Amino acid sequence: MLLMMMMMTTTIKRITISLQYHTGCRETAFVYSITSAAVAYSVARSCAEGGVSTCSCDNRVDQRPAGEGWEWSGCSDNARFGHKFSRKFVDVLEKGRDFRYMINLHNNEVGRVHVTNSLKKVCKCHGMSGSCTIKTCWMMLPKFRSIGDKLKDRFDGASQVLPENSVRGRGRRRRKFNFSPANHMHKKPGRRDLVYFEDSPSFCDRESSLGLGGTKGRECNASSLGVDGCDLMCCGRGFTTEEYTVRDRCQCIFEWCCTVKCKMCTFNRTRSTCL
Amino acid sequence: MAGVVLETLGTKKLSVLIISLLLVLAAFFLIGGLVSPAPNNVIDTIAMNCVDKQKLWQLGTSKPFLPRGKNACYHIDSLHEDQAKKVDPNQIVFSQWIPFIKKHNQLSMSRWFQNLIGVVDLEIEFTSKNPYSEEKSPEMLLEARLYGRFKDETDDDWRLIAASQERRTLECAIENDMREEGQRYNCDLLPLFELGSVYYDFYLINVRLPVSEKDEYNDNIGRLSTFKIIFIHQNGGFTKVWFSMKTVLFPMVLAALCWFWNRVISQGRSTNLTERTLFSLGIVLSVMNCPVEWFTLAFNLPFMVLLNDIRDGAFYAMLLSFWIIFVGEHMLDQIERNKLSAYWKHMTVVLLACLALLIFEMCERGRQLVNPFFSIWSSEVGSIAAFTFIIVASVAACVYFLFLCYLVFKVFRNISTKRTSLLHMSTFRRKYYSGLIFRFKFLMIVTLLCAALTVIFFILGQVSEGEWKWGDEDITLEYTSAFLTGVYGMWNVYVMALLALYAPSHKHFAADSDADIDTLSHEEEVQLTQVPSTSASEGSNLTSFMAKTAAD
Repeated sequence: MLLMMMMMTTTIKRITISLQYHTGCRETAFVYSITSAAVAYSVARSCAEGGVSTCSCDNRVDQRPAGEGWEWSGCSDNARFGHKFSRKFVDVLEKGRDFRYMINLHNNEVGRVHVTNSLKKVCKCHGMSGSCTIKTCWMMLPKFRSIGDKLKDRFDGASQVLPENSVRGRGRRRRKFNFSPANHMHKKPGRRDLVYFEDSPSFCDRESSLGLGGTKGRECNASSLGVDGCDLMCCGRGFTTEEYTVRDRCQCIFEWCCTVKCKMCTFNRTRSTCL
Repeated sequence: MAGVVLETLGTKKLSVLIISLLLVLAAFFLIGGLVSPAPNNVIDTIAMNCVDKQKLWQLGTSKPFLPRGKNACYHIDSLHEDQAKKVDPNQIVFSQWIPFIKKHNQLSMSRWFQNLIGVVDLEIEFTSKNPYSEEKSPEMLLEARLYGRFKDETDDDWRLIAASQERRTLECAIENDMREEGQRYNCDLLPLFELGSVYYDFYLINVRLPVSEKDEYNDNIGRLSTFKIIFIHQNGGFTKVWFSMKTVLFPMVLAALCWFWNRVISQGRSTNLTERTLFSLGIVLSVMNCPVEWFTLAFNLPFMVLLNDIRDGAFYAMLLSFWIIFVGEHMLDQIERNKLSAYWKHMTVVLLACLALLIFEMCERGRQLVNPFFSIWSSEVGSIAAFTFIIVASVAACVYFLFLCYLVFKVFRNISTKRTSLLHMSTFRRKYYSGLIFRFKFLMIVTLLCAALTVIFFILGQVSEGEWKWGDEDITLEYTSAFLTGVYGMWNVYVMALLALYAPSHKHFAADSDADIDTLSHEEEVQLTQVPSTSASEGSNLTSFMAKTAAD
């Protein structure tokens, strides 16, 4: 657990440092949300593995003396613990009271809300003679990938907001901010929408001050029209295509786990790189 | 035939009684909803991927693989990364130990939990290279071992509770737009084990998915990424509420039963069928109420779940038989039944349904006493047999309800024809018939109410799924618990009310002594059978038919 926390802190720090001069753009919003989502997710998962001894039960049980509450009504709320943990752990990194702080807190919360909302309900019938007179349900964590996919959709539809003082709720609504969208035709961002206030840099050229490497030398897909396509990625500078041979595994036999028995074959492949 | 208590009660007394019974019912519902927690709790876990480096399991040693603690096994985080490359699938042992450590406190299972169910949820990833076989659902072979130990013992003391090799069919599906590398199939849960008692403090489960070139097991199941084991147990709080309820109800019903039988005996005449049936209903209910579950706190009694199911089933079978006999005895058609053989058709149907369910239950739960990993649904023959039993039971249930509806319909028709002729009868005969009609209608209303409430609560429970919240978050109603305690309490109250209200009354209609009324009523009955009333002529075809079948 401690090791995991340390690793996460360093990752988060590295990400924040590399983006600290441009903390208001769309990409930052995504990074913030997926980081806090990942923290919540992996803590919940570790609790389910039983390897973490700090996991707690839900509030209701905590009010009773330890042991008694467990005997009375059990204990199973790993996702909520992960959510709470991520709030304490990730939000602490945000200091200050400015607009950027609020944007980051909001985006952190977006990530966690996506984890909580993507929990899937699974039920099992076990009543008299196995009938459905008694049905027990529980919430199951999905694969992290599907949470990432949802956040990517939110990234594509993120709303730009005006950097002005926004009203902040109190008490339970402490994490609810009232942002006004830059385009008045757009609706106000909700608790699942990513927000940003600065335009993104082009990412085309190298800017070491921002920690951006530029796209020179990046491999691109010549046949794609999307962001991975050579047209967009190389920012109009053009690209080179080369053919190369590679030895790779082929005709593999798989089991459900672990061993893969393969032959080695030689393939001819092409690769495009941005100039 | 003398009247029953119900007829001699005044309207005022009756309404007070009914209201107090309703209040008791509401109390049962609220005890479940407000005091008791949810009936069951889930421990959803992800199994550790232990590696059996020395291949001990394959060599036949029964050494437990622990997921954590001092003697934790060597485990790998992912089944598909570099770490796993040197491992053979036969070496992977999925392992989990419940309960967990929460807030630095190693929890322990409690005997109040009563039962423990284990379910496996496999996470299968989509890969085009190693696809899950969608044309033919693949057969799995699970080698499972279940261990238990007490709190004050050490890791050397893990006791093997059961070990088995089980076949399961893995049913998975994936939507077409999800067919990308790394996406997940939706797989059905695989039943793993069911324990009828939670005797030990800790439980440890080890599962292996062996592969071999000879057999086809565990082939084509695709790429397994996570092996989740879900444990379901009854909550201690619910058990406490349940036990208390049974302990309170048992002497109450027993007292009512004794009072009723005493009343019947003190009449100084031979008992009639309705009374005998009601008495048996009370006995079966007392057997169901008898809180023998207290013994599970001291002893290991895995058969308790089976016993409870049988006791519940016996009660419902008795209740169904009681309805048929009661309706039949209030037929108002001058056929002297008063013996069980007159109802052999209806009884056969009820017995058939119960027998089918009992056999099914013995096959599933009974077998699980020997092997907790057994599931009747896992083999093809077993699931066909199970389906057959369930279908037989449901068909019998349908036939039963048709019978019952037909009988009730007949009674109502007789009542409506009797009503016109009621005015022309002598006072005694009128009182006798109107008493019979009142008794019947009262039971009909109460029974329909109870049945309707059960069905409505059940449907509400299916829709709401567990918990209802009212107003602030402080007031939560555990709906499933409320349903269970409410329904249990309701049928207890129902039987107690019947025992009280349908006991023979000490008050008599007009006569002075018991002997007089008996001879008088007997004369009346003899007369009745001879007087060709309108109903008798109308229903003569039916009555002759009934008499014939009865004679058969």
